[in-house]
Amino acid sequence: MKPCTMERNLVTVRKASVDFEASFIRLLDKVTNGSRIEINQTGTTLYYQPGLLYGGSMEHDCSVLRSIGYYLESLLCLAPFMKHPLRIVLRGVTNDQVDPSVDVLKATALPLLKQFGIDGESFELKVVRRGMPPGGGGEVFFSCPVRKILKPIQLIDPGKIKRIRGMAYSVRVSPQMANRIVDSARSILNKFIPDIYIYTDHMKGINSGKSPGFGLSLVAETTNGTFLSAELASNPQGQGAAMLPEDLGRNCARLLLEEIYRGGCVDSTNQSLALLLMTLGQQDVSKVLLGPLSPYTIEFLRHLKTFFQIMFKIETKPCGEELKGGDKVLMTCVGIGFSNLSKTLK
Amino acid sequence: METKDQKKHRKKNSGPKAEKKKKRHLQDLQLGDEEDARKRNPKAFAVQSAVRMARSFHRTQDLKTKKHHIPVVDRTPLEPPPIVVVVMGPPKVGKSTLIQCLIRNFTRQKLTEIRGPVTIVSGKKRRLTIIECGCDINMMIDLAKVADLVLMLIDASFGFEMETFEFLNICQVHGFPKIMGVLTHLDSFKHNKQLKKTKKRLKHRFWTEVYPGAKLFYLSGMVHGEYQNQEIHNLGRFITVMKFRPLTWQTSHPYILADRMEDLTNPEDVRTNTKCDRKVSLYGYLRGAHLKNKSQVHIPGVGDFAVSDVSFLPDPCALPEQQKKRCLNEKEKLVYAPLSGVGGVLYDKDAVYVDLGGSHGFQEEVRPTHELVQSLISTHSTIDAKMASSRVTLFSDSKPLGSEDIDNQGQWMPKEEKQVDLKTGRVRRKAIFGDEEEDESGDSDDEDDEDMSEGDRLENSSSDDETEEGQDAEVTDKQYMSDQGIKRQKLEMEEDFEVDLPAFADSDDDLERSSVEEEAEEADESSEEEDSIAEEERDILESKAVREGGKPELLQTDDSSDSLNVEKSLTKKKATFTTLDSGHCTAEEAFASEDEPEGNSSLSTEEEDSENEEAIRKKFPKPSQVVSSQKLGSGNLIDETSDIEDLLKEEENYKEENNYSTETSGALKWKEDLSRKAAEAFLRQQQTTPNLRKLIYGTVTEDNEEEDGDNGEELGGLFRVSQPASECKHKADSLDCSRFHVEAPHDWDLEEVMNSIRDCFVTGKWEEDKDAAKILAEDEELYGDFEDLETGDVHRGKPGPDTQIEDVEEEVKEEIDPSAEESAKKKHLDKKRKLKEMFDAEYDEGESTYFDDLKGEMQKQAQLNRAEFEDQDDEARVQYEGFRPGMYVRIEIENVPCEFVLNFDPHYPIILGGLGNSEGNVGYVQMRLKKHRWYKKILKSRDPIIFSVGWRRFQTIPLYYIEDHNGRQRLLKYTPQHMHCGASFWGPITPQGTGFLAVQSVSGNMPDFRIAATGVVLDLDKSIKIVKKLKLTGFPYKIFKNTSFIKGMFNSALEVAKFEGAVIRTVSGIRGQIKKALRAPEGAFRATFEDKLLMSDIVFMRTWYPVSVPAFYNPVTSLLKPVGEKDTWSGMRTTGQLRLAHGIKLKANKDSLYKPIVRQKKHFNSLHIPKALQKALPFKSKPKTQAKAGKTPKDRVRPAVIREPHERKILALLDALSTVHSEKMKKAKEQRHLHNKEHFKMKQKEEEEKLKRQKDLRKKLYRIQGQKERRNQKSSLKGPEEQLK
Repeated sequence: MKPCTMERNLVTVRKASVDFEASFIRLLDKVTNGSRIEINQTGTTLYYQPGLLYGGSMEHDCSVLRSIGYYLESLLCLAPFMKHPLRIVLRGVTNDQVDPSVDVLKATALPLLKQFGIDGESFELKVVRRGMPPGGGGEVFFSCPVRKILKPIQLIDPGKIKRIRGMAYSVRVSPQMANRIVDSARSILNKFIPDIYIYTDHMKGINSGKSPGFGLSLVAETTNGTFLSAELASNPQGQGAAMLPEDLGRNCARLLLEEIYRGGCVDSTNQSLALLLMTLGQQDVSKVLLGPLSPYTIEFLRHLKTFFQIMFKIETKPCGEELKGGDKVLMTCVGIGFSNLSKTLK
Repeated sequence: METKDQKKHRKKNSGPKAEKKKKRHLQDLQLGDEEDARKRNPKAFAVQSAVRMARSFHRTQDLKTKKHHIPVVDRTPLEPPPIVVVVMGPPKVGKSTLIQCLIRNFTRQKLTEIRGPVTIVSGKKRRLTIIECGCDINMMIDLAKVADLVLMLIDASFGFEMETFEFLNICQVHGFPKIMGVLTHLDSFKHNKQLKKTKKRLKHRFWTEVYPGAKLFYLSGMVHGEYQNQEIHNLGRFITVMKFRPLTWQTSHPYILADRMEDLTNPEDVRTNTKCDRKVSLYGYLRGAHLKNKSQVHIPGVGDFAVSDVSFLPDPCALPEQQKKRCLNEKEKLVYAPLSGVGGVLYDKDAVYVDLGGSHGFQEEVRPTHELVQSLISTHSTIDAKMASSRVTLFSDSKPLGSEDIDNQGQWMPKEEKQVDLKTGRVRRKAIFGDEEEDESGDSDDEDDEDMSEGDRLENSSSDDETEEGQDAEVTDKQYMSDQGIKRQKLEMEEDFEVDLPAFADSDDDLERSSVEEEAEEADESSEEEDSIAEEERDILESKAVREGGKPELLQTDDSSDSLNVEKSLTKKKATFTTLDSGHCTAEEAFASEDEPEGNSSLSTEEEDSENEEAIRKKFPKPSQVVSSQKLGSGNLIDETSDIEDLLKEEENYKEENNYSTETSGALKWKEDLSRKAAEAFLRQQQTTPNLRKLIYGTVTEDNEEEDGDNGEELGGLFRVSQPASECKHKADSLDCSRFHVEAPHDWDLEEVMNSIRDCFVTGKWEEDKDAAKILAEDEELYGDFEDLETGDVHRGKPGPDTQIEDVEEEVKEEIDPSAEESAKKKHLDKKRKLKEMFDAEYDEGESTYFDDLKGEMQKQAQLNRAEFEDQDDEARVQYEGFRPGMYVRIEIENVPCEFVLNFDPHYPIILGGLGNSEGNVGYVQMRLKKHRWYKKILKSRDPIIFSVGWRRFQTIPLYYIEDHNGRQRLLKYTPQHMHCGASFWGPITPQGTGFLAVQSVSGNMPDFRIAATGVVLDLDKSIKIVKKLKLTGFPYKIFKNTSFIKGMFNSALEVAKFEGAVIRTVSGIRGQIKKALRAPEGAFRATFEDKLLMSDIVFMRTWYPVSVPAFYNPVTSLLKPVGEKDTWSGMRTTGQLRLAHGIKLKANKDSLYKPIVRQKKHFNSLHIPKALQKALPFKSKPKTQAKAGKTPKDRVRPAVIREPHERKILALLDALSTVHSEKMKKAKEQRHLHNKEHFKMKQKEEEEKLKRQKDLRKKLYRIQGQKERRNQKSSLKGPEEQLK
C-alpha cells in the first residue's frame, strides 16, 4: 500500500468520466480511515495515499453514469479486509449495458468469494430497488464479513452445467416484457439442458426507480459450483433504438452460450477478482482454470505484478477432442501471504 | 584329562529378561496379567457408575485435545536452509570454546577466531549456522528473532545470571525457539553431593522457565582447554536430530542472517565524500518465507531499505549429493564462515573466488611458468582448430552448427549495432543455446571487450588492482601480468570453452597479445566503439576494486609475477563450472526454450537476445575480470547467435511488428498495440497461447526496466501507475469495465457450433472416470469376483461367457508377450487399490474428526506447494514464487549509511528481515501490555521507551490506557503494577498477534532486569480514541428552588449550547442538568437540580477529552555505532532524566502540597425542643423531667450498727463455726457422691451378671426347646415313612 499518483491527459478528460470517478473516490474515502486524496485544480492529477480499510455501516450515492456494479466490484475486493464488517447501501443504477449488473455479481461473485472462505450469514447482496439508466433510483444493500486470511483455492475442474437460472426484470414497462424475454431465452437454451428456470421480476412503485427498462441475466451452474453468467439490458430511455424483448432474450441466451464456450471455473467478469484473491492468499499454491483472459484481466495481471511483484504461471489447456468449448488457461500462483491488518485482535 | 568344572549357567532371577519369562510362564498357566484379568473377570471391570465413566471419558478427551496444535501448512522447502544455532550466555561462560568444539566435532577443523556466523554441514540432511550471542541486549533481541535453536550456557559454579533470564523472556516474546541448556564449569565443584544438588536445583529452575523436561546438558570439565570429546559429540548428536516447530513470525517473513558483506560503492564517490551513502551487497541463506525482488527489508540496528537487487548463488556449503551411505566423508564436511575468513570458495554474482591457501601457493611458486608452458604444450591442437571443429546444436533435433556456418554470417551483425546506444550504454549480448543459460555472464563480458578498442581494453583490464592503489591507469602489459598474481582469483569460464583454454595466460605475453589482437580485429569488424562503454567498464572495475579493498583480508596481493599457477586454477575449475553464474539468465529465456515450439522461437530468441542484453546492461556495476583468451571464443559465440537469428528470420511473419516494438521502444513496450494484441491473442488462440505470458507481462527484463524507472520515482514517494506514453494512454483512459465483450460471436444456430459445447452440460458425454454407467459397470466387475487375500481363495462372480474367453485370451497373451502380463498385473493392482480405498473410506467414516480433516487438508496443500514448481528450474521458479528459503542469495541494497560499512563489526549479526505488504508503513499501533514482574519500576505514559516488535527495535512514546466497561479507552498516567493495560504508540505497522517487548534503554549499564514490559499487538489504525477525564467546575450565583444559575464552567454561550442537556453534579451529590445559556455573564447557564443548592456548593461536569499520541518513531541504530561502542546507543531521554541531567527541580504546585490540617473546635448548642412539640411527642420520646436520684430521706436511712467488742467476738466465733460446718457439709456431700457412684457401679455389675445368667439360661432353654422341636419335626417327617413301612 504505497501512495500513488495518477495523471491523465487533459484532452481526454470528459466531465462525465470525472463525475463517476469522483463518486468512486468519495466511496473509497468513506470506507477507509486516514487516506489522503489530493486532486489538482485541473483535475488531471490524483494523489492517493491509502489509509486503513475501516468498514462499518454506511450509505453511498453512486453516480448514475456507471452502474452500481462498477462500485461494487471494487468493494468486493476490499470488503473482506475491513476492520469492521461492511454494511453498505448503494444507490444508483442497478442494471446497465456497460458494467456487470448487481444480479450477475450476486449470482457469480458471491459464490466465488465463498470459495476463498468468505462466508457467513451476514454475507449478502440484495437488490432493494431497481434503477435503470439514465434516471437511476435503484438501491442495493451489500454486507460482507471480515476475514483475517483467505484460503487458497484449487479450481481446476469446472464440472458440468447442471442447471440454468435467470432473472428477467422489467421496470416501468409492461410486466409482459419479462415473460416475453423468458420465452425467447428458453427457446435457445432448451436445446442443451432441460433444467432452466428464469424468474421474472417486475418491480413497481418506488422500487422501480426513475427510468423504464428491462433486461435479462442468465447464470449457468455446474456440478462443481462454478457459475457462468451472461446478461443484457435494454437501451436506456431516449438512447438508441427500441429493443424487442424477444431479441434481447435470444441474444442473452447466445451470450451465455458464448460464456459457456469460453468456460473455465470463473466467469469472465470475475476473473480479476479471483486472481486478486489468489494473490492475497497465504503463501500457498492457488490454481484456477479460466477461459480466455479478458483485456481487463490482462491489464489487471500487470497491475498485480507492479503492486505485489507477483507473476502467475500461465498454462494453456487446449480443448482437444472433448466438446467443451474453447481453450482454457490454467493460472497458478503462490500467494503473497497477505493478512488483514485492519481487523482487531480481541 | 581332567575336565574343568565349568560354571553352570544361572537363570536370571531379576531384570527385564526374567520378568518377561515370568510373564510368559504366567500366561502359559492362564494366569496372565491385567488384560487377562479383564477377560477372566469381566464383572470386576464392568461399569459401576455412568457418571464416573462419563467423567473419565471427558478427561481423556480433554487430555487428547490439549495435545492438538492448530495444523499449519508445512512450508519447509525440500532443501531447508541451515538451522540457526545461537550460543548464548553471560561472559566467560565458555561460548566460544563450545562453538569451536562443536565445529571441530562436525568438521574436524579447528577455527581459531570465530567472527560472525559459521555454517557447517552436520549431517546428510542438516546444516547448522552457529552464531555467538553476547550480552548486548541489542544482539540478544536480534538473534532471538532468527534463532531456531538456542544453546543457553550457564555457569554452574555461579548459577543463573540476569542475561539468561532476559534472553529467555526475549525468546518467549518472539516465538520461543527450541532452547537447550548447557551447564559448564562443573569441574569447579569439589564435592560430588554438592554438584548433584546444584545440578538438580538448576535443572528445576530451568524447567520452570522453559518447560518441564527441557533438555539440559552437562559439560563436566575442560581437557586441554576444550570440552570433553564425548560430551560434545553427544551434544552434536542432539542438535542434529532435533525437530523444530515452525514459529509464526519466522515462517511468514523471509529473513537472512548475513554471513558476508561487501561494499559496492563507487570509490570515486567515497573519495569525494567519505560520508556518502553506500551501496552494499549482503550474502546469506534465505530463511522463512519466499522473498520477492524489490521488496522491503529491515536491518535491525540500521533501518528500512528497499532491496535493489536479489540474485541467488550456488550453495557455498551444500549438502552432500548422494545419500546412500550412512555418514559423511571428509570432503563433505564443509565449513563456511567468510566473516571469519573460512571457506575455500566465495561466490559472487558472476565470479567465484577461490582461496588457494598459503601453503599451496608457496609450494607451487617454484615453477609456475613452467607448468603453464607444460599445460600449453599438452594441448594437442590449437584453439583455432578446436574452435573450427566445435559444433553447437541449437535445438534438440536440428543440425549441429559448425564454425563454417558461422563464418558465413560472421560479418553481419546489424542487431547488435542497434542495441549499443541505449541509455545505459553498455553493450552486451547473449548466446542462446537451447539448454544452457550459463554462458551469458562470460559472454556478455566478452562483448564489452569486443566493442572496445585494444588500448582501452588493456588499460581497463590492467586497472583493476591499480585503481585500488590509486595509481594512474597507464600500465604496461607486464604489470598487468603481475596484477594477475593474486592468490584469490576470480575465474570466469564458459562451459563450451573451458576445456580448451587455460584460465589465464599471464606469463606468456605473446599469447596474450595475439589473442588480444585477434579480438581487436573482430571488434573492428563489428565497428562498435564507444567512450561510454569504456567509461562504464572502468566504473565496474573500480567498484570491484573497492570491493576487494573492502575485505583486505581476502586479498593477498603478491607482487611477484609467478604466484599464479595455471594448474591450480585448472584443478579448481570444477568448482567454477558449477558456479557459472546464472544471475543474468532471465526466466524468460528458460520459458522460451520450454514453451515455444521451434517454429515460433525465432521471435523469442531474438527478443531475448536484446532483452538479455538490456538486462545485463542494467546490472550495472558488474565486476568482471577479463580473461583475454576467452574473448576469442565469445566472438565466435556472437557470430553464432547472429547466425541463428539469420536462419530463423524468415519465419517471422505476423509477429514482426511486435518484435520491432520490443526491440526499439523504451519501457512500456508491451503496452503498445495492446488491444490488437489482445484481439490477436483470443481470436487465434491456438497460435498465440504459448505467448500468453509474454503478452501479459511483456518480457521479464523489460519489466525490470520499468520497475527501475518506478524505483526512481518511489524515492520521491510516488508510485507511477500509468505513463502518458504514445499509445498506451489511450488504453489507460478508456472505459475500465470488467466485462468481456464477445467480439466474434459464434452462430449458435449451427449444429456443429452447438456441438462444440455439448459436453459442458450434464446431458453431454462424461469422462471415463466419471461416467455413471461406466462406474457402475466397473463396480460390478469389482464386486463380481474378488480374491480373499487372507485365505487365498478366489471367489468368482457368475462368469459371463465373454469374461471367460477373456481369461483364456489373457492366459494366451501372457505366454506370448510380457507387456500384456504387465497390464494385467496393473489391472489387478488397480483393483486392489480401489478396494483398499473403499475399505479405508468405509472404515474412516466414523473416525475422522474435524481436526483430522483440517490436518489432511493442510497436508494436501503442502504437497501441492511442493509439487507445483518442482520440475522447473530455479530461474523460472524465482519468477513465480520469489526466492525460496534455502537458497543462498546475494542482496544489493543502496543508500546504506556509511557508518554501516565504516563501523562494521562481524561479531554483530546482520539480519535482513523481510517486511510484508504494508509493514513498512507507519500508523497507530495498539497493544496489550504488562509491565514485567521483575522490572523494578512502573512505566509512565509519554516516557520514551524502546520497543522490539517484529524485526524492529525502535524508540517511541507510548500512551498507556485501560479499557472501561463501555469500551472507552481511558488514559493512564502509569502502567498498573500487576495487571495488563493497553498501550498505543505511533510507529511501524506490525501484524496483529505479534509479540513485543519493551526496554527502557539499550545501553549497557543497567544493573537490574532490563525487560520492562511485554505484550502483544492488538490493533492497527490510522487514528486513536484514547481519552482522559476532564472535570469542568462552576459555581452557583443565584439559587431558586430547584433551579440555579451557574457561572464559571464555560467561557461562551456557544460552549454552553454544545453541552445542553449534559449531566452535572454537585460535590455533595445533587444531580442536575444543563438547560440553557444565559445572556450575562458570558458562559453562565441555567441548570436544574433534584434539590435546592447552597451557595457553597461546587458544581462539576465530567467530560472526556481525546488525547493525541506523539508521532515519534526513532529506530535504534545500534549497528551504526563505532566498533566497541555498539551497546551504547541512547535515544531520546525522558523528562526525568533530562531534569536530572540539568539539575532542574520540578516546581511543585502549592495547592498540591500537604499542609497540617487545622480544625476549629466545634461548639454545639444544647438541644431545645419547643413546648408544643414536647406535648405532641409520645411519652417514650418526651424529655423526662424526673428529678435526679437525690439523697434518700433521713427517715429511710437505716442507722449503722456498731457492735460491742464482746458482740464482735461472738460474731467472729459464729463465723468460724459456720465456716467449719459448711466445710464439713461439703466433704460429706462429696463422700456421699462417691459412695453413690460406687454403689451404682456395683448395681450395674450385678445387673449385668444377672442378665448374663438369664441369657445363658434362656439359651439353654431355647436349645432344649429347639432340640425338642427338631425331634418333633423329624418324627413328623418320619411319621408317614414309618407309616409307609
